[in-house]
Amino acid sequence: MFGRSTLLAFAILVIPSLRGKPFVPGEIIRGDFKQIGELFLENHCFDCHDDETKEADLNLLDLGPVDEINAAVWKSVWAQVAMGEMPPPNKSQPKITERLKFSDWVVQELREEMKEKGGFKANLDPKKANYLEHDLLFGELPNDIKLKPTSSSSRIWRITPQEHITRLNELINMEPAFNPSKPGVRTRGDFVPTNHGGELKLYFGTDRIIRWEGGTVAYQTAVKSVPVVLSSSRKHGFENYADFYSVNSSEATQILNKAEDILKYMAYGPMSLVEFPEQITDNPKTYDAVKPKEDLRGLPSAIVYNTKVVRPITPVYDLMRQDKFTEDSIRKTITFLFEVLTFRPPSEKEVSEYLQIVNESIKKIGREQGAFMGLSSIFLDRDALFRPELAKEGKADKYGRVMLQDWELGLAVNHALSYIRPDEKLRDAIVQGKMRTRSDVRREVSRMLDDDSIRKPRVLRFFRDFFDYDLSGYICKDQKALASTGTSARDNAYFRAMFDATASTDRLIELILADDKNVLKELLTTQKVVHTGNDRSLFGRRYTKEEQKNAQEEKKRAEELATLEIAEERKILTKEVNKLEGQAKANKSDKALKKMVASKQKELKALIKKMADMKRKAGNNVNTNVEEANFSGKQIFARVSRRSFGTGSMKPERTLSTVPESQRLGILTHPSWLVSHSDAMDNHAIHRGIWVRERLLGGGIPDVPITVDAQLPDEPGTTLRERMRVTREKYCWSCHEKMDPLGLPFEMYNHAGIYRTTEFEKPVDAKGEIIDSGDPSLDGPVANALEMIDKLANSERVEQVFVRHAFRFWMGRNETLHDRPVLQAAHEAYRESGGSMKVLILSLVTSDAFLFRKQNIQN
Amino acid sequence: MKFNRRDTIRQLALGAGAAFSGALFPHSAFASVSGSAPKRVIFFLQNQGFEPGTCIPDGMKNSGSLSKVKLPEPIEALEPFKERLHIINGLHGKHTSPAHSPFFGALGGYRGSDGVPPGGPTVDYELSKVLPQTLLPHLCIGMDSIENMRAKPTVANLSASGAGQPIFMHSNPNHLYQLLYGGISEGDIRNQHEARSSMLERIESMASTEGHQLPLQEKQRYDQYVRGFEDMNGLRDRLAQVSGHLKKFAPKVDERYTNPEFETDWHDTLLDLGISALKSGTTNTLTIGSGRGEIFGAWKGLGIEQQGHNLGHMKQKDNPIWIKIRQYNSRMLVKLMEQLESVPEGSGSMMDNTLIVYTSNNADKQHTNGANWPVMLLGNCGGAFKSGCFTQLDGTRPINALYNSIMRVSGVEGDRFNMTEAMAKKYDSSTGPITQILS
Repeated sequence: MFGRSTLLAFAILVIPSLRGKPFVPGEIIRGDFKQIGELFLENHCFDCHDDETKEADLNLLDLGPVDEINAAVWKSVWAQVAMGEMPPPNKSQPKITERLKFSDWVVQELREEMKEKGGFKANLDPKKANYLEHDLLFGELPNDIKLKPTSSSSRIWRITPQEHITRLNELINMEPAFNPSKPGVRTRGDFVPTNHGGELKLYFGTDRIIRWEGGTVAYQTAVKSVPVVLSSSRKHGFENYADFYSVNSSEATQILNKAEDILKYMAYGPMSLVEFPEQITDNPKTYDAVKPKEDLRGLPSAIVYNTKVVRPITPVYDLMRQDKFTEDSIRKTITFLFEVLTFRPPSEKEVSEYLQIVNESIKKIGREQGAFMGLSSIFLDRDALFRPELAKEGKADKYGRVMLQDWELGLAVNHALSYIRPDEKLRDAIVQGKMRTRSDVRREVSRMLDDDSIRKPRVLRFFRDFFDYDLSGYICKDQKALASTGTSARDNAYFRAMFDATASTDRLIELILADDKNVLKELLTTQKVVHTGNDRSLFGRRYTKEEQKNAQEEKKRAEELATLEIAEERKILTKEVNKLEGQAKANKSDKALKKMVASKQKELKALIKKMADMKRKAGNNVNTNVEEANFSGKQIFARVSRRSFGTGSMKPERTLSTVPESQRLGILTHPSWLVSHSDAMDNHAIHRGIWVRERLLGGGIPDVPITVDAQLPDEPGTTLRERMRVTREKYCWSCHEKMDPLGLPFEMYNHAGIYRTTEFEKPVDAKGEIIDSGDPSLDGPVANALEMIDKLANSERVEQVFVRHAFRFWMGRNETLHDRPVLQAAHEAYRESGGSMKVLILSLVTSDAFLFRKQNIQN
Repeated sequence: MKFNRRDTIRQLALGAGAAFSGALFPHSAFASVSGSAPKRVIFFLQNQGFEPGTCIPDGMKNSGSLSKVKLPEPIEALEPFKERLHIINGLHGKHTSPAHSPFFGALGGYRGSDGVPPGGPTVDYELSKVLPQTLLPHLCIGMDSIENMRAKPTVANLSASGAGQPIFMHSNPNHLYQLLYGGISEGDIRNQHEARSSMLERIESMASTEGHQLPLQEKQRYDQYVRGFEDMNGLRDRLAQVSGHLKKFAPKVDERYTNPEFETDWHDTLLDLGISALKSGTTNTLTIGSGRGEIFGAWKGLGIEQQGHNLGHMKQKDNPIWIKIRQYNSRMLVKLMEQLESVPEGSGSMMDNTLIVYTSNNADKQHTNGANWPVMLLGNCGGAFKSGCFTQLDGTRPINALYNSIMRVSGVEGDRFNMTEAMAKKYDSSTGPITQILS
């Protein structure tokens, strides 16, 4: 395509002309492929990737300008250069500005070229946020880089599935007010938790159910519930950046259908759910008198509701009680519904538009059905599904930035912490024009942060997204592999234990947040544990083979001891029965004797059963697989779903205890996190390593090359570490050295999260190493996860990376170099406050990145 | 994020199913799949398990032809269609955790349970994407007790378009009729249809106005939202435009719709609507959930007084109750086949290009570990599948392999369906389609 000598000459001519101007990251880079792309490749890539050397089977000589065909290769080039992986350390390195400029140019070209072909947004993905070198944000900045005052794009931000369900739940269910004596119990303003199976659903009328027929499954089928319909493709990491999602037509259709169900429940309560009015009674016997005489299990008619009205009574209820609708009452209902769904009052024009829809529906299909249908349209209002941050009202500063104000600012502040409507104080501030300045925001956010009765599900969501400890119930476990871990829970009981574990970890995090001191360090090193009664085994220690044998003998002894007396009794009775049976055989006509034999046989049978029960009970107290954690502590509560599975529903009761000494350190060593980073058969050291690399060290991991068959060999009876030898091959290791040595220290736990000292009868090897972390004081070998976590928890860099993640979550986007001052200020605030999460959040949400919007910023 | 027409139509099919496209009639605009690929697929899942004894002819232990054997009483209605029938025994679904139903896992081939959200797309949805394009690529109907169908006219238990993305099934035939034939109906249905159309048009107009104010980079995402309304309204327009064609297929609304005596009246009408959507070319994929994927359900219209959970605790073979239910299913299958045979397509009939997969969402019984998952195929996709026979497999291949086989016949490459290699090592003795069932 071109001669290399020509290129070099061109490079020499062009480079000086690019020098001298300060580089402003993110600004349009003027220059075509020859001037920018080819030049960089020639200077830094062709030595190894030309038609002769083709290192890693890659020849960049013929790459050419970015187009649809070579976009994938350009994307890899961008990733390698942006992360600083290429050129390799033993080659001459480009200047930082040159590297940044080239990366920005590739992104710019890919974005332009792919505009009509699926777009290019990889650089905006949270997984790629660490491609921006950490030291550029927290270390020295080269003089030739010029930063601009930061802001975020004006945008609309779709609400999350969890927010949507919580918002709808407000319409039909009254959650209890915050009770300071029972913190942790689900309260108004908390998110709607997933149910016993991990599904996010909206439940109707469950707070009034006083009886149902059948068991747990029958209950689940009979109650009315609707699943969430907004989609979320999250697997690991941040769920919801502002540019992630829209609402598609199937979701819109389902929202409409659901809206009518909700409106009917708002109007009529459980009467909208029942087959017979008699199902609503405080005395179920009155229903028994009229109910159908058949198997009602799983049917709506199997449920009896009490008569106590506990749902919110709203203008929808008032409207539907009227014999004749007045325009005023419809307007009032529209105004109410609009605000509860969009969190802001409607304009007069908006009320009129919806009034027209309602009136037209009533005209066409009648009063009742028409009202429900017409009002359901408000559920699809743009602002009921998206939160606008358009900053159209304010005046631009000299940098072209406009500060959010009034409702947009108030709702942005509200959304930073809450899923439900602004409370009265915030609403008043917005209405009175007191949401226009940074100090207004500081005042309201401080107030909200300090008030425990204002629930802050967004803060907890951040920690779920950051740690990814809430995935354990969704990891499908092979039953045999699960049994080998030593846990006794199987099938659905196991998965339910995992959802319980998620709720427990939620609560532990909230307790640490309540102390608000060195929050990250505490999370990483706490000795506290929130648990259910069943968690003693999951937090226990797997016995060695020898110990298992001893435990089995102990079990046998316990069984024998418990049945010692009864065994003797059984022996005597057996002898007696045998004797009587012999007599009866000889005297077949003796009816009295026959009767006595039958009676004694029955007695013996009962005794045998009793003995078996006693044996089982005594045996059950001895766990032959795991040394259970010796927990003791005070009772607390965790947040669980409304009753979703009859008597099998999740329970809120928990205990706050201390983990067994020298076995656990912080939530990375709790089963909820460990299982979330495991697979069906074993631990997932690679995922765990990626997590540590990305979330704590701030390192980037490139995408898996498509040529890689990412499989470990299937070798039963060998350790994961042994099977992972394949990743040590040269081609794999350049990436895997970033993850494997950080994940393998967690081999001190098996894939159910149980601590172990041996594996396949040999001492567990939990060694690992922190390699090329960016902070030389961290680098070096570690004996196990505890040592590694201890090192990381004391690192300033790790703290800064945590702040970067908090920034991403609260801004809904990746950080850019222009956010450097915001990040530094947030980190300083966190440090100076002794690791206060409240202070960190306050710093972030009063920053320019949060407050200012600008059109057409390329993030 | 880029959205094309095809994506939009696909998404539409997930909801109440408002969608439109250029292709309406079955004879036009077929996608380019191999010659033997089906043009439409029907999944029929009876709940509470499919006991092999209710479909495998007595004494038949090994694979072989069905030509000289008599079908058992529960499926004897299929006797005239034996040459289209393939009974498969010995697939497994152990990894789906099927006791008390794996819900989405039955068609997804992954772990499921009550309350567990879908872990990925299900096979019916995946097929709807690759089959010749229609207005409403995927229609799901669910049959249950009359109470449940009234109280919960849409539920999502069986089909999904992706992880955490359930697809709802219709259980109220009046609502489904309104969706499919509102434009050509009269009376209340017509009024309902018009009111909803008018409301959607106004929402579209309002949403579109709000979109004008958005920054350029946000417009594309928002446009997808607005386009959803355009498409919902567009479907109504398109259906109205072809109302002459649709009239030929629309079932007559009678008392069974408005005043059903038994739940089976609604089951029958739902089936009629499903058939009409296939015959009119409105859909290419029909999923029928008899019992809606759960472990309850009622069939009082067949004279079965017992209902719900206990039906799953009974042995099915030689049980008069289960003979009645399976016979009812078989009559439905016959009706589907006869109706599709009555419509010419190419050199044969619609049925020649149709594959029906009949099984249970609950493997072989309600309380099961899924070690055996019997299936009946009806139709051979132009000879791609063997037919007129019984195949006994060795229990080492999962239902995912059957789904992979159907996907392959439908022109989709790949050796697995929803199964990672790590899982396959444990649960699949081979790769790719099931050779024993292919011609």
